[in-house]
Amino acid sequence: MTSAAVTHAVARACSEGSIESCTCDYRAAPGRGVRDWEWGGCSDNIGYGFRFSREFVDAGERGRSLREKMNLHNNEAGRAHVASEMRQECKCHGMSGSCTVRTCWMRLPSLRVVSDNLKDRFDGASRAGGGGGGPRRNRYNFKLKPHEPEHKPPGPKDLVYLETSPDFCNRHPRLGIQGTHGRQCNDTSIGVDGCDLMCCGRGYRTQELHVVERCACTFHWCCEVKCKLCKVKKTVHTCL
Amino acid sequence: MQGTIVENLSGRKLSVLVALLLLAQVACFLIGGLIAPTPSSAYNVLGTNCVDTGNNTPRWFYTRGHGACRNLELSDYKDQDSKLEMANKVVFVFQIPVPRENVVLDYSRWQQNLIGVLQFDVAYHAENEMDSRTIITIDAKLGYRNKGDPDDAWKPYASALEERSLDCVIDNRKTDYYYNCSIVPLFELGSLHHDFYLLNIRLPVDHFKHMNEKLGQLENMWLITINQNGGFTKVWVSLKTVFFPFIVGIMIWFWKRVHQLARPPALLEYMLIFLGGALTLLNAPLEYLTLYFDMPFMLLLGDIKQGIFYSALLSFWLVFAGEHMMVQEDNRHNHLRVYWKHLSAVGVGCLSLFIFDMCERGIQLRNPFYSIWVTDIGTNLALTFIILAGISAGVYFLFLSYMIWKVFQNISAKRSVLPGMSSVRRLHYEGVIYRFKFLMLATLLCAAMTVVGFILGQVAEGRWKWDESLEIEYTSAFFTGVYGMWNIYIFALLCLYAPSHKKWPVESESHSNSVSEEIEFSRLPTEPSEISSLASFARKAALD
Repeated sequence: MTSAAVTHAVARACSEGSIESCTCDYRAAPGRGVRDWEWGGCSDNIGYGFRFSREFVDAGERGRSLREKMNLHNNEAGRAHVASEMRQECKCHGMSGSCTVRTCWMRLPSLRVVSDNLKDRFDGASRAGGGGGGPRRNRYNFKLKPHEPEHKPPGPKDLVYLETSPDFCNRHPRLGIQGTHGRQCNDTSIGVDGCDLMCCGRGYRTQELHVVERCACTFHWCCEVKCKLCKVKKTVHTCL
Repeated sequence: MQGTIVENLSGRKLSVLVALLLLAQVACFLIGGLIAPTPSSAYNVLGTNCVDTGNNTPRWFYTRGHGACRNLELSDYKDQDSKLEMANKVVFVFQIPVPRENVVLDYSRWQQNLIGVLQFDVAYHAENEMDSRTIITIDAKLGYRNKGDPDDAWKPYASALEERSLDCVIDNRKTDYYYNCSIVPLFELGSLHHDFYLLNIRLPVDHFKHMNEKLGQLENMWLITINQNGGFTKVWVSLKTVFFPFIVGIMIWFWKRVHQLARPPALLEYMLIFLGGALTLLNAPLEYLTLYFDMPFMLLLGDIKQGIFYSALLSFWLVFAGEHMMVQEDNRHNHLRVYWKHLSAVGVGCLSLFIFDMCERGIQLRNPFYSIWVTDIGTNLALTFIILAGISAGVYFLFLSYMIWKVFQNISAKRSVLPGMSSVRRLHYEGVIYRFKFLMLATLLCAAMTVVGFILGQVAEGRWKWDESLEIEYTSAFFTGVYGMWNIYIFALLCLYAPSHKKWPVESESHSNSVSEEIEFSRLPTEPSEISSLASFARKAALD
């Protein structure tokens, strides 16, 4: 997520002009730099975001242990998710506005979409067992092996883990785990927010509350929200 | 002497000429593919949200340089009570071009033109669902500044209050997911004369006029600027500069040859010189002038020049087919009048496209934010003209295919008479028919290559890679290739369809092609027509 967010934020800032060191597209002709601007254009927001994220987020992952490889893999997966959500848009501007000349560009996705996709991958993450070595000169050129040999190896957009997560049910201050005592849960959900899973089988308390809420809101660009205040009866479940 | 060069040229010379022209063609394609960059490039610029503390002040808001405004996060204001006036105070600022590699970039005049397109990131909120089509009102101001000016010395270029429709759909109705909104064309500048441009956009809310009331929760506004690449302009202009003298030269040569004849120039020769003139107009490298003068009409002028060229080419094909049809009684004084029906199809088509272009790009000269497509009347008007142009194109192609079919029918009819002729004359006529067909083939090949190249370019977007080191810029290669092809085609036409001057036999040709000389002198001396021996041959047969 960090790598995805950094990629996204840097690409965005490049477009806004708030980072002045964004580069041109080097794939076309390496090292031509700003002179390129007049000749063939200079636009490479996502590419710069990608490289910046690699240099910045992956800076700590210098070692050759499996954990670092896993981190690298997951960071790459985050960036891959940003790139894969980019959408191409085109505009025709040929003779009399016809499509004899067409220019296309990539549209940056909403970070919310990227994070939701990553959450899906997180839920379906696989356990990595070992890393196949790649050539030394490219630290991203390696392939992780699955923990269970008969499983499929993780793809570039899949997330992997080495150890299973600790138990989040009980409070464990040393690991920074708050436990789920007193958390609100949803009694109809079968997911992790459902009362069965979240309360770890301890059961839950049900209360009926009267709350005052904003309702029937109408919204106007840019900043105006007009709401009524309604009194509603709400059923709240809390983990024991 | 009589006939045109194509009939009297020896096969060897013809093949050498064709090979040379093909070589030039390949060179044009490679220049575009290897030297030139893509024709244009697009830049995404994210709008900075500034706050106008006054009420619609005339001052400029800019984001870089001394006195720049501060960015404001729109979402900070989302939950506060009644911030209605806020909407009228938010100014979206786009200062272009954005800096790269720590260098403040400026537009070069080689970059020719600038197109601006807006894109809206509207977040979904259950309380505020947007219609699939929303009319938004945009208050846009465009300013410019040049190098050496102080940071705040923005001068107004254009401003307008424009309505645009925004089509937004969403598949995944979740909070904070963006709608998939259509792009909104904003402006087109025909000249890029200044160094820096600044666009200030407001989306004013007025509950009395129901202005922007339906707009959802706008999170970001993006401006996509598209400009021609300087490198492409340079390659393109150099190509024009090379072609220009060649075509002018061959035209002068052609016209001299025509004037050396005893008879007045024939219709086909007028058409050829008209075609050459149209191409010369297209070739004239006026882009050099834009480096010194502000010429916002270049886009319109380019369209008009192309239009004239296409109409000349289309009329030429009609007349060319018609002149070889040999059905007219009065065959010596062919006039354009004969073709009025066919040519009116070209005329109507070109005229309607011209009117459409004037309505769109002509008005854009006064107001770069104008677009004919935003109003219903304008859309209908534009569609009317485009459909009219389409219909006349269809009628034209019907006419042309009918005429070509007629010509081929005539040729095959004459061919059945050929065995009865003397062997020398028969050889000659067969050669003439062969070369006429050869040129037909060349025309068809050129047209087909243009169409196929265009379709290939549309299908295979992006770069074509044959090798890691060799990268062909296909779009540019297509443009320079097609441009070169039509230049070469017309050069060849002017060259090969010029009247032949074979008053004396040429020594070098005599061994290889002694038959052709005989042919020249074996022609019927009583036949005075010098247009093209194919036409004269057919007419003669018709008289028989």
